[in-house]
Amino acid sequence: MKLVKPQTKAYSLILRYLLFLLMFIGYGVFELFSQSFEDAHDQALGSLGNYELLFSNQYFWDSLLTSINITFSSTIISIVLGVVLARLIYFYLHQSKWKYLIWIPMLIPHFVAGHLILLFFSQSGLISRAFYNLRWINHMSQFPGVVNDPWGIGIILTYIWKEVPFVVLMVLPAYYRQNKQYIDVVRTLGGSKWQVFKMVEWPALYPIVIETALILWAFVITAYEIPYLLGVTYPKMLSVLAYQWFYQGDWSSRPIAMALFSVLTVFILMITFGCFRLTQSGRFRSMRGR
Amino acid sequence: MLRTLSKLILIVTLISIFLVPLCFLVLFSVSANWWWPELFPGKFGLEPWFRIFNQPQIKAALWTTLWIGFLVIMLNLILALPIAKALAHLDFKGKSIIDTVFMLPILIPTMGIAMGLHITMIKYGLADSWVGVVLIHLLPTLPYSIRILRTAFEDLGVKWEEQARSLGASGITLLRTLWLPLILPSIRAIIFLTFIISMSQYILTVIIGGGKVVTLALVYFPYFNSSNPGAIAVLSIIFALLPLLIMGLWELIIRILFPVKKLKS
Repeated sequence: MKLVKPQTKAYSLILRYLLFLLMFIGYGVFELFSQSFEDAHDQALGSLGNYELLFSNQYFWDSLLTSINITFSSTIISIVLGVVLARLIYFYLHQSKWKYLIWIPMLIPHFVAGHLILLFFSQSGLISRAFYNLRWINHMSQFPGVVNDPWGIGIILTYIWKEVPFVVLMVLPAYYRQNKQYIDVVRTLGGSKWQVFKMVEWPALYPIVIETALILWAFVITAYEIPYLLGVTYPKMLSVLAYQWFYQGDWSSRPIAMALFSVLTVFILMITFGCFRLTQSGRFRSMRGR
Repeated sequence: MLRTLSKLILIVTLISIFLVPLCFLVLFSVSANWWWPELFPGKFGLEPWFRIFNQPQIKAALWTTLWIGFLVIMLNLILALPIAKALAHLDFKGKSIIDTVFMLPILIPTMGIAMGLHITMIKYGLADSWVGVVLIHLLPTLPYSIRILRTAFEDLGVKWEEQARSLGASGITLLRTLWLPLILPSIRAIIFLTFIISMSQYILTVIIGGGKVVTLALVYFPYFNSSNPGAIAVLSIIFALLPLLIMGLWELIIRILFPVKKLKS
């Protein structure tokens, strides 16, 4: 039984509300795209001029490569460590209060996490000090600077520390939901731990793992704060480059910054669509009882 | 035996990775002249704390952060409650589309949206003001709030409401006596999460606030590479404490609004 009548009016209000909010997002994206077609530098380059400028810009390609490297490394490492940690917590710290420790990184901003990495891993950081006191190095400069380094190791470390708990948060419920008897079935039939993971845990986990990876990936590739603080001047990550163009005094490079973010948005949507297809086909496969 | 050992190793690892860094942060904030290669500070003192709190700019930024955070939380609750309820309990045409589109701000770069909206914000006088900043902070927060509340409403179902309605409850009574108490844990989660996300926003605040709306995040950045490890440690600790302060305030308000009635079982 549904008591629809008194609610209909309220719900139609809510729907209008919803549409209004969607407009806010949709309008922002629309403005982003349309401004990316405006003329930069007062030159008549045609409507795709900014994209030509963008794609012929060596800074852009170097940044793109760096961003993709850093994003994929931090996403994949976070996912793997997160799944392993979720598994360990599920099996070992089921009732222990200690498991709440992993929520610490969720409570602080990314840039504070970046500060922690700096405290430990910079050339004057605590690890460097420990190495000196262990007589492994004689001077600060002998410690490999992994913060503000061209490979973005500091950035990757920050994201791992910050995102592994997020992965655990997303994955742990799937662990609790899975049917424990399947594990027993595999074990009694002589399956190893790896086979348990492959046949029981992974099929239950992987839609949520893909979704989590997607959220992380889309977040890291467009994030500004950490690359700005822990990155190097060249090559910059994409968002830092885009902001530099966006903020240039006379606004003449703004359309190129818009073009860059438009490209990124399309890129992310394509990957999202790809992942969506992947998980869907996966569901069908498991439904057929492969 | 092996199990206990593995458990112990796991706990020690968790402590050293997640808790120890924070301890060093505290140590840095109460030390002076702690340079390379000293592993522990030679001198202790509250000098970094005084240095930070003596700056009127930082105090102002603290209030701005709290004010913006408060408004973002309120807007999140006001918007997310009805939307999440509609998405959870109502079937309508195009629901799955709206559903998907609503999760898009998690995937579509919010920085790009902010860049696109900047001109419009200027046109309507929202740029360089806290109003615009509050609006733009909705982008990274609202999708999560809706998601959390939606799950809560779905888990509760519609039976409670049908029962209450058949007993003659409606509107405000329904909200006050039924829904609010039932979804209180989710609201707590939203307040916590929303505040953390809002206070962490640097680039959205810079783009829309134009450097005129100075939150704590904006004060933090110039300190980051400064040669004063104590001052930056103090700021980091303030960031870690602020959400706890918000949580404390919330618990206080709840205790006053909904005095605990002991259930006799």
